[in-house]
Amino acid sequence: MKFRSGILVLLSLLVIGMVVMAAQPIQLTFWGGWTGPDGDVMRGLVDEYNSTHPDVHITFTTMQWTPLFTKFMTSAAVGNPPDILGMHGPDIPQFAALNLLTPLGNVISNAGFTATQFATTAWNGTFYNGVQYAFPLDLHMNAIYYNKALFEKAGITPPTDWISGQQFLDMAIKLTLDKNGKNPNDPGFDPNNIVQYGFGLYSLNWHAFLQWYELLAQQGYGFLNQQNTKVDYPSDAGLKAWQWLQDLVFKYHVSPVGATNPLNDFLIGKTAMLEDGPWEIPACQAQKGLEWGTFPVPQVFGQKAVWGSGHVLTIPVQNDKAKMQAAEDFVIWLIKNSSKWALSGNIPAFNTAREYAYSLPGRTGFLEGAPYEVMLPRIPNEAEVFSAASVSPIVVAGQDIMVRDQSILPVMEWMNNQVDQILSRGQ
Amino acid sequence: MKKNLRLSIIPYLFLIPYLFAFIAFRFGPSIAGFFVSLTRWNIVGTPKFIGFSNYFELFGDPSFITSLINTLYFMALTVPALIVLGLLIALLVDQNLKGRTVTRTFVFMPYVIMSTVVGVIWMWIFDTHFGILNYYLSFFGIKPIAWLSSVNWAMPAVAITTIWWTVGFNMILFLAGLQDIPEELKEAARIDGASNWQIFWNVTFPLLRPTTVVVLMLTLINSFEVFDQVYVMTGGGPSMATLTVIQYMYFQAFQYFRLGYGSAVAYVVFAFLIVLVLVERQLLKKVGES
Repeated sequence: MKFRSGILVLLSLLVIGMVVMAAQPIQLTFWGGWTGPDGDVMRGLVDEYNSTHPDVHITFTTMQWTPLFTKFMTSAAVGNPPDILGMHGPDIPQFAALNLLTPLGNVISNAGFTATQFATTAWNGTFYNGVQYAFPLDLHMNAIYYNKALFEKAGITPPTDWISGQQFLDMAIKLTLDKNGKNPNDPGFDPNNIVQYGFGLYSLNWHAFLQWYELLAQQGYGFLNQQNTKVDYPSDAGLKAWQWLQDLVFKYHVSPVGATNPLNDFLIGKTAMLEDGPWEIPACQAQKGLEWGTFPVPQVFGQKAVWGSGHVLTIPVQNDKAKMQAAEDFVIWLIKNSSKWALSGNIPAFNTAREYAYSLPGRTGFLEGAPYEVMLPRIPNEAEVFSAASVSPIVVAGQDIMVRDQSILPVMEWMNNQVDQILSRGQ
Repeated sequence: MKKNLRLSIIPYLFLIPYLFAFIAFRFGPSIAGFFVSLTRWNIVGTPKFIGFSNYFELFGDPSFITSLINTLYFMALTVPALIVLGLLIALLVDQNLKGRTVTRTFVFMPYVIMSTVVGVIWMWIFDTHFGILNYYLSFFGIKPIAWLSSVNWAMPAVAITTIWWTVGFNMILFLAGLQDIPEELKEAARIDGASNWQIFWNVTFPLLRPTTVVVLMLTLINSFEVFDQVYVMTGGGPSMATLTVIQYMYFQAFQYFRLGYGSAVAYVVFAFLIVLVLVERQLLKKVGES
């Protein structure tokens, strides 16, 4: 009797355990590098999904992109990657080449998504070697932020569309003031005592290179050859692009030398314009008393082009099919509901979601620039070639030209050689 | 006999938890690191054995040489200042003066601040156009200095930050050393007619030697391994002017996923530190003998 009761108790416990297990939601991990207010927007979307899908629970983790990718590599090496991983389109090749990402072409088409439903650059940014590895989430590109009050004071009507390099320079000169209120064109202007700069640009980090890259694209050139194996652009075009940027600082004095915090300078009204991405929108909105807007980057050369990138959502390779299915379901839901992602400043890649961005303030520059966005080349050793680290040749070249006022051609040649060396070494 | 054996084993038993952690997380990975340095490996996949190629490449790598020179420059700027200032402040706050506890606290306080916070604070202070330091310097007619964006000033700026941040630690060590010196010895010297300087030079300083050895060794090693404040304040720029070896190792291993190459940098740093410590010990031995 006792034995039978014992068996019954055990069986009941087993059944209860199985029922409890079955009722447990599938646990998913989602990693992304959105560490600013954009992270809060994504967290809000994840929370919404968790509350409307009781069978799944997603834990969202953010950290800066570089350590995030290190963490991803180490976790993938021991077979424990996240279930969903955010990254940029150009980041895909370095992980896809190591077979760490699941090809998603079928999943995307089975979900009913087609290329025409997304911004072209964003859609194209999800492929590597003809295979689609990610869902396109958004686009983000450079634009010019401007301070409305300083424009009004200088009697300038802010542009709403693309303007020429000369028009931009004229504005920047008018907006640059020395302590006597003189502009750089006025006789007696004192470049050593400037109290307000017309234009803030990033010259100490890799953004100097990105601004140069978009100016190269405005002349119809890319940075690497078709096979992405060697640096390949006419040095005359490269020279002209760097020259334009260098002159803004050292010839026209409309931009400060080696600004350590261009965003802060813009927020407190020390610079009237700033070239930056939409990720700064929340900071501008949070700045009390700052009236701001955006317009596209100037078209300095023959074509319209602006550097940009785009976030994508990938599903790292793993063995648990149920988790992979749940991860796919979440990402499909996220793309369909990505209009709210526009609140982060990024421009949603999904056409219907992007419509919402048009109703938000300060998006003009980005939305006008979006069709002309050019991304960096897609190469497996992207982390080293297009690195933002201080040892990166593209960063050093930018600093040599934009901060140290060095002769452009030798620096450019050095940069090209260094990048060629990295490319020849492979991943 | 049995009791003696038990007694002699007990201390080792206490050491086991530490030894386990040390072997698992320090010694083991260090040995593994050497083997990794002989490979080409990007964390994922199988490491490919390439012998000493990483080391050969390293010594022909201008960026590595730059990082090594920069690190030595940083050491030259910080180590003497940290030793001398640490000792001077310790001597000052060792006196029976009013407010010495407050001074000790203020000097030591920066040391407990996180390195990233220290970096951010000093970035604001050093800002070329809107920083408080250039603002005060302007009262003396000094034009704005591009502290963090000029090749010449970036490293001194990081050194100033480091001295401010860590001098308190050296002060505490020296202070502990000073308080270990019996007062009677100084008293005896004073009775014999020695001046304050003579007391310091002939009594205090020689007796501080063990402390000085420790402080010097720690300061040398810490300076050689500088990372956080440089990473936050300049990232190693501009134009690699503040790139240090540990930073270079970090970039190679964890940003470019060149684990083998990064490990080779780590082993060169290790060898360099061993040599440095041995030289320092020999020099101090000679000074002590003389």
